[in-house]
Amino acid sequence: MSENISELSGRKGLDNNLFDKLGKASVKNGTPDKEELQRLANDFLMGNAIIYGASSFYDFMKPENKGKKAYVCNGSACLCAGTQELVYQKLKEQYKEEEIGHMTCLGRCHENSAFHIAGKNYSGGELNNLPSIITKKHGNEDHYNVGSNGRHALTLDYEGFEKHYAILKETLSTEASNILKEVKKSNLRGRGGAGFPIGLKLESCRNEDSDTKFIICNADEGDPGAYSDRYLLEERPHSVLFGMIVAGYVTGANHGILYIRAEYPEAVTTIESAIQELKSNNLIGKNINGSGFNFDFKVIKAQGAYICGEETALINSIEGQRPEVRVRPPYPAQQGLFNKPTVVNNVETLAALHYIINNGGEAYNKLGTEKSTGTKLVCLDSFFNKPGIYEVEMGTHLSTVVNDLGGGFKKPVKAMQIGGPLGGIVPISKIDDLTIDFESFAQQGFLLGHASIVCIPEDFPMMKYIEHLFDFAQYESCGKCFPCRLGTKRGQEMATKALNENYKIDRVLLEDLLDTLEKGSLCAHGGGIPLPINNALQYFNEELKQYFS
Amino acid sequence: MKIAYINNLPYEFESGETILNFINRVKGRKSIPTLCDAPNLDPYGACRVCSVEVALKINGKTKTVASCHTPAIENSYIYTDSVEIQNLRKNIVELVLTDHPLDCLTCEVNGNCELQEVAAQVGIRDVRYPEGKNHLDRDKDLSHPYMTSDMSKCINCYRCVRACDEVQGEFVLSIAGRGFDSKIIKGFDENFIESDCVSCGACSQACPTSAISDVFQSKSVNADEKIRTVCTYCGVGCNLEVAVKNGEILSIQAPYDAAANGGHTCLKGRYAFKFYNHEDRIKSPMIKRNGEFEKVNWDEAYDFIVDKLTQIKAENGSDAIAGISSSRTPNEENYIMQKFIRAVVGTNNIDCCARVCHSPTALGMQRAFGTGAATNSIEDLDDTDFIFVIGANPTAAHPVTGAKMKQKMMKGIKSLVVDPRKIELAKYATYHLQLRPGTNVALLNMMLYFIITENVVDQNFVDTRCEGYEAFKNEVLLLDIDDLERITGVDKNLVREASVAYANANAAMEFHGLGVTEHSQGTFTVQLIADLAMITGNIGKKGAGVNPLRGQNNVQGAADMGAQPHQGAGYLDVTNPEVNAKYNAFYGREVPNHIGYKIPEMFDAAIKGDLKALWIIGEDVVQTDPNTMKVKKAMDSVDLLVVQELFMTETAKHATVILPGASFLEKEGTFTNGERRIQRVNKVVDPLPGTKPDGQIIVDVMNRMGYDQPDYSAEGMLEEISQIVPFFKGVVWNELGDNGKQWPVLEGGEDTQLLHIDEFKRGKGNFEFFEFKESNEVETHEKDYPYIITTNRELEHYNCGAMTRRTGNVEILAEDVLLIHPNDAAANGIDDDDMVCVESPRGKVDIKAKISDELKPGILSSTFHFPEIMLNIITSDEHCSEAMCPEYKVVSCRIRKSKGKFKKIKKSTV
Repeated sequence: MSENISELSGRKGLDNNLFDKLGKASVKNGTPDKEELQRLANDFLMGNAIIYGASSFYDFMKPENKGKKAYVCNGSACLCAGTQELVYQKLKEQYKEEEIGHMTCLGRCHENSAFHIAGKNYSGGELNNLPSIITKKHGNEDHYNVGSNGRHALTLDYEGFEKHYAILKETLSTEASNILKEVKKSNLRGRGGAGFPIGLKLESCRNEDSDTKFIICNADEGDPGAYSDRYLLEERPHSVLFGMIVAGYVTGANHGILYIRAEYPEAVTTIESAIQELKSNNLIGKNINGSGFNFDFKVIKAQGAYICGEETALINSIEGQRPEVRVRPPYPAQQGLFNKPTVVNNVETLAALHYIINNGGEAYNKLGTEKSTGTKLVCLDSFFNKPGIYEVEMGTHLSTVVNDLGGGFKKPVKAMQIGGPLGGIVPISKIDDLTIDFESFAQQGFLLGHASIVCIPEDFPMMKYIEHLFDFAQYESCGKCFPCRLGTKRGQEMATKALNENYKIDRVLLEDLLDTLEKGSLCAHGGGIPLPINNALQYFNEELKQYFS
Repeated sequence: MKIAYINNLPYEFESGETILNFINRVKGRKSIPTLCDAPNLDPYGACRVCSVEVALKINGKTKTVASCHTPAIENSYIYTDSVEIQNLRKNIVELVLTDHPLDCLTCEVNGNCELQEVAAQVGIRDVRYPEGKNHLDRDKDLSHPYMTSDMSKCINCYRCVRACDEVQGEFVLSIAGRGFDSKIIKGFDENFIESDCVSCGACSQACPTSAISDVFQSKSVNADEKIRTVCTYCGVGCNLEVAVKNGEILSIQAPYDAAANGGHTCLKGRYAFKFYNHEDRIKSPMIKRNGEFEKVNWDEAYDFIVDKLTQIKAENGSDAIAGISSSRTPNEENYIMQKFIRAVVGTNNIDCCARVCHSPTALGMQRAFGTGAATNSIEDLDDTDFIFVIGANPTAAHPVTGAKMKQKMMKGIKSLVVDPRKIELAKYATYHLQLRPGTNVALLNMMLYFIITENVVDQNFVDTRCEGYEAFKNEVLLLDIDDLERITGVDKNLVREASVAYANANAAMEFHGLGVTEHSQGTFTVQLIADLAMITGNIGKKGAGVNPLRGQNNVQGAADMGAQPHQGAGYLDVTNPEVNAKYNAFYGREVPNHIGYKIPEMFDAAIKGDLKALWIIGEDVVQTDPNTMKVKKAMDSVDLLVVQELFMTETAKHATVILPGASFLEKEGTFTNGERRIQRVNKVVDPLPGTKPDGQIIVDVMNRMGYDQPDYSAEGMLEEISQIVPFFKGVVWNELGDNGKQWPVLEGGEDTQLLHIDEFKRGKGNFEFFEFKESNEVETHEKDYPYIITTNRELEHYNCGAMTRRTGNVEILAEDVLLIHPNDAAANGIDDDDMVCVESPRGKVDIKAKISDELKPGILSSTFHFPEIMLNIITSDEHCSEAMCPEYKVVSCRIRKSKGKFKKIKKSTV
């Protein structure tokens, strides 16, 4: 991070956001032109290198993106489904090769064959409608199941604006410290992966003395296989926005920023109209409902970089810096966006606040297990008979999810990667040993993460999956820390060589590499990738041993 | 104090200290290997080589953390060298070597490469990875006269990017792309010379390998010795570490422990040293006979001079002789020069170039506070919450201090810039009051008015520490603000806002340069700045004060040493009988007690015929003093003009005798920087054959004129100075150390960072009011010469450029240019690069135009670094009414596109 750039960027205010401007400057040609970059550099008093360096980081702004018109999803679920080669061939009939790029997970894991054209995502059978998609005569709705196994907090029916926000007025007339107490009582833990209690995060930001603070909703759901945030943003936008207003009230922050991934264009428009609705009902802005509390929203469209899901990279991104991971301390709650106290929370975490405020922290605390309270959304991919989003209480058996909710597998599956690309690879044999909660997964050597499930079919070579994981990790590495920048690339090269050449992997070297990544990496990206690979080495040794010397 | 354990042994650590700093402090620097950490940069956490294990109980469960950014925790157990940690470090470095050329033996930094050192430290034997993708084919960048890069050697530690950001604040470097292919870029992925690089070299010094270096290979030179000395290029007083081999200078770096510059310096300090043995150096004394210079030996030159001086003294009296000492030379040489003129020649006709730069500062601050020197230290920038810069362009003229200010401003410290130009700092400042040149007094009066009317006066400070306030206040309240708004051209509401912000700061720190002093009301402006500091209580405390940015490296020292006609060594009044008696006794000669000529008076006296001999050390008055034609006439009017110089300057060309002096790299002494820091100048190389240290030349002549003066040595001279200059009482050559001492230095050696803490040097601070008066220049010539040209400096060159024009700097900036507002350019049909004829009542010059919105319409700006232009042909005789500092900043002129030969120059360059 650069403290200087944070400050210079912040000086212009959220309405003149550098990253926003860079994104807009890229719309026309896929990458901003030099004159525009120069103008921004002068305007923001930063060097050309800073502005160019930042824009070159992102898939949808970098110079190589120039002229791209269609994008093929290359996320894990679509890869395992084996649908994407056909997507690519079909697109090639309509576009030149250089006009086709890729996007990593469009959140269409439940039906695959996903692709993106002109700001919209398509999947499933839509591939057959390419000509009419291109002439913009075709819709792009997808369909997935939404269900639960009993008590739920996130997938409740939306009762309409009035009823939904009735509690807000009451909240804003209650002492903020009492609201914080309720949140802490719920023991809600962050759903982005790390599981940090949101109450403590809010409290720590609340204790900072600053005129300016920010609440950021991390809606950069980049984990292939996960589309639960997409569901919440598109189907329950007011739960997310409500959660942000409450977080703002508790911490004394007046600005809420939603950083939404570019791969979810529909989520952006839904959230924007929900904000409009709040505005026309005078529930945001100055002195909301006479409470003396001010709050406003800003939606920022991401530009294609998985690492932006990491909170400090996300903060850098909003500032227009290269989204590289920052060192801690300082923690964002002390010195975050524009050097001001900032709380970054995941969509699902924020969305849960509506239930907590409505029903009390105690009620939420009673859901789930002692240490993992509440409910969790689980995403199932197209290998399930009933793919979709399911809300389960923490502590629910994985077998219940797989067999009852998901209806079992369509095709033979040998393992599931649960919790995104950094989540563990769970062999089918372990299904009965796991319950959906942080502790169970950790004890068994896996990671609950986002609780998205991507199935690896019987016929999919595990070494190929390892190659995919390393490739994803190296492609999305921010490049700041040495172990991740170099190690993920070398890992991918070893896997590729082992698959395609007469090369045998030195097991000690691979173990050293995984150890280096795990212990040495600056953030969970490089630090997390060894987990699924170690799982694969442990549970699929027989299949893999042919690749080792 | 808190305790933590390193390898199970307890040590005390400081709250907030990182584990790496903790270990380095206890175990010595480099005891933990690292590739991305650097002494002057924030923790970054990129390389992870500094990883250690931390447990909460002895031999307990450990967590691996990067020590550079992890704070030490009380009662924690830090394990620095477990097998796991050793393996981790080795494995990381092995990965680094998979994308690094293994050509150490032929590499520029072989033996002085941090990667090589760390690889050896962690015990790398081989690289086990199969050959993969790498970046070894990246091209070298040799585009720049100084900076070089070879990115195939880059390990992506980001030190260069961070140095460019955190130290210089220039943002020329960044990274492009991401992950494995991310790479360091300059600008839009250009080369150094195309980018906006200011050539400070911070990146090169920071780079652990040879990825970014310089043409002098300064990181890795194989030197016989490295000698610490002080830069000659401005009043910041950067410490330099000069590498020498076989008596020749190889390169220069900035020591990290330097108080003045903390591991940083600018392109002049770091790279512009090649003038010292340039072929143009004068290597023999010369006497002009029949219009031609003839080389002579030293004895002949000395005899010639002594005969002439003796004759003139006998025939015309001592007051027909004058000397101009040099602010570029050490204190000791200034002292001996003024002693020579006063005690041996017998006149107070001694002055120095402080006259044409900061004489109003010295006088104005003496009148207000009692001492004509910066009240605070540069390190106080860490304690201030408001920076007020008036009439200075620090990022160009005082680059290291300028960079520090810019860093503070970028981080949100409130700030005010008062300047007719939109200088670099103005872009970062909270307020910029862009006044018309010559209206400082009007603007400062507006500020004082608003501070009083908005009730933000520090009444307690005013009541207890100052005098003359009531009368002053009454005068201020009578001001017509609307009239002043019209005069300055600055919105009064903006002035009000800025004034209140300045007054409300806890500690506001003022800095000024020649934009304050080089005016007809220069001294008054300084006194009004002092009024502002007093009325807001910003004196005598950390982070506040009035701080002149000294132009030349030893302007402070030259005045301290008495190189001025009204005050002798130590600022003692020469007309005071007691003082006179003291000097007489000390020098053992009768020293006159009437004030001598100031520089402009010397020129007038020469032309009038009263002054017969002039002795100038290291000062190109023809090129840099105003009204060139008049200066030339003065030079040609005297019977004897002695010039001590390194090069055949414009002034030297007029000399009767030229004596080849030595550069700062070839002699010893002390320079006093802008914060009163007396620092040792150590001899780095011997004077070129045929040249002599300037102090020795004076000593030689003194002895030949019958004054028994021991040979020049810094130690001996300083001892003499400490006996006569009160604030040098405790200064001893061998006790100055690397970072010098700030005067006053008390007997026993204790020095002083902050002046006027409990009371002013003069007792009470003196409030005085001054009314704005339009400069005669504008009053008289406005009608026929409607434009105002104001003079300034560029980063790359130093004053007359005699030194910097003989270095690679000239490849970066090769000429003076005229900055002109787009409206004025359009009105006169002028395009970028057109030659423009600028004409004043004194004469005209032709300069290449550069269209710029840095200035308001009607205002022009240029420099006088190049003799090809001789901008001072057009500057005037107007000067500060009190200190006689010339009014370089306000010159009435008119412009038109050039005709004749200059038009052709333009065409031929197209």
